Amino acid sequence: MIRFDKVTKTYPGQKRAALDGVDLEIEKGEFVFLVGASGSGKSTFLRLILREARPTSGRVYVAGKEINKLSSWKVPKLRRQVGTVFQDFRLLPNKTVTENVAFALQVIGKSRAEINTLVPETLEMVGLEGKGHRMPDELSGGEQQRVAVARAFVNRPMILIADEPTGNLDPTTSVGIMKLLDRINRTDTTVVMATHDSSIVDQMRKRVIELESGLIVRDEARGIYGYQN
Amino acid sequence: MRSTLSELGQSLSRNKSMTISLIVTMTVSLLLAALGLLILAQSQRTEKYFGDKLQLQVNLCTKNSLAPTCIGGVATDDQQTAVQEALRGNAQVKSFDVRTPQQNYDQARVLFGQSETGRKQLETLSPDSFPVSYFVTLKDPQKYDAVVSQVSGMDGVGNVSSLKELLGPLFSALDKLRNGALAISALLIFAAVLQVSNTIRMTAYARRREIGIMRLVGASSWHIQLPFILESMIAALISAALAAGGLAAFVHFVVYGYLRDTLGKITTWVGWGDAVQVVGMTTALALVLALVPTLFLTRKYLDV
Repeated sequence: MIRFDKVTKTYPGQKRAALDGVDLEIEKGEFVFLVGASGSGKSTFLRLILREARPTSGRVYVAGKEINKLSSWKVPKLRRQVGTVFQDFRLLPNKTVTENVAFALQVIGKSRAEINTLVPETLEMVGLEGKGHRMPDELSGGEQQRVAVARAFVNRPMILIADEPTGNLDPTTSVGIMKLLDRINRTDTTVVMATHDSSIVDQMRKRVIELESGLIVRDEARGIYGYQN
Repeated sequence: MRSTLSELGQSLSRNKSMTISLIVTMTVSLLLAALGLLILAQSQRTEKYFGDKLQLQVNLCTKNSLAPTCIGGVATDDQQTAVQEALRGNAQVKSFDVRTPQQNYDQARVLFGQSETGRKQLETLSPDSFPVSYFVTLKDPQKYDAVVSQVSGMDGVGNVSSLKELLGPLFSALDKLRNGALAISALLIFAAVLQVSNTIRMTAYARRREIGIMRLVGASSWHIQLPFILESMIAALISAALAAGGLAAFVHFVVYGYLRDTLGKITTWVGWGDAVQVVGMTTALALVLALVPTLFLTRKYLDV
């Protein structure tokens, strides 16, 4: 589903590579934690999957496409197959919960009939049934993140990328969000989550890829946050 | 489409003052461009009118002529024949008509008789105050110099007057007006393009969150750019319509209300047909002015 083939990314004006010869493959339906200190290359890894950045050398394949060779007009199509969730939710404050989720479908030209079916279905799945008319500022942090997950998943993408989705949430709420991501993963959606939350990684026991100064220093099938001795 | 229109409505109300200032600048620049083009049409029309009719008037000596070629007084028959032969032999001369002193006197009575001072002047004049004249039609109206220099020095020729010379100041005033209008219009067009750029930058900043999400969820570049393009197009079309209104007022009040009535005898003036053509050109110009920078700048500011 995702393959990095000797990928190096150096940003202009930087001497040190943000990612340095990364080689890895993530299969369809896998749940992968990306861990490492700030500046280790996690965000660059996610940006490359989204084609927000291009590798300096090497090849990145996402959903069978080599993204370096993808012409810019095909990028939107790629992004429709990759849902994204952020630490800061990034909801539109002047739109209701339903409108926020529907927005993701409207802007890619889905019909009103599809929107009317998919949005309530997804809101129910994320546990927000009956809250569709609320504005984002009327919701708790956990609920806002659920809206963000619903927006990322409403188009049923093949891959879900989550960049520190529990970073702004308390531990109990974080567990709820992780259960939701796990549930999405069970629909055969590949989930790649960058996190600093050790307890979650330790609890879930999923594949853990650790980055340090742009290099993969650990790749364990059922790993924990820290090094396993 | 519904979401695009709603984005457009929000954007227009958010940028109300910017949009209004853009429309005002664009309207003034388009109106000036339209006036420049109308004056251009007028110059071409005037040139064609006089080109068709351009004639040289060769006046022979009268008893009162002061020119050095008139020392002998009224032009003699021999002198008249010599001038006629010179005109016939000149390659630039297409044809010429002879007008007698009496005919010239009669024409002067009509023109001078229109005013009190003219009538007083007429009292002191008689047919023999007027010369024999040759009205010369040229093959190429631009090449009058050769004929003027040939006949103006001949004995018996009092003076040679050219309509082109007489109307030269009018032609050059029209040219200057046209150049001035087009130059100011170009400056304002530059300002309008900068305002389009500012409006796009401000809108892109105000909508950065929506645009960011649109890009992430895979909205096409076209879909992201469309509200910006529609906004510019609406501003351009409103400006073009206002400029067309201004031009229509100019044609109605100035051309039909003044120029055609008071200066109708000088030349033929532009009309509604010319105005419609000019409006077509300025509307096309407005759309190009709005769309080209919008397409270019949305790519730059929206990173699509």
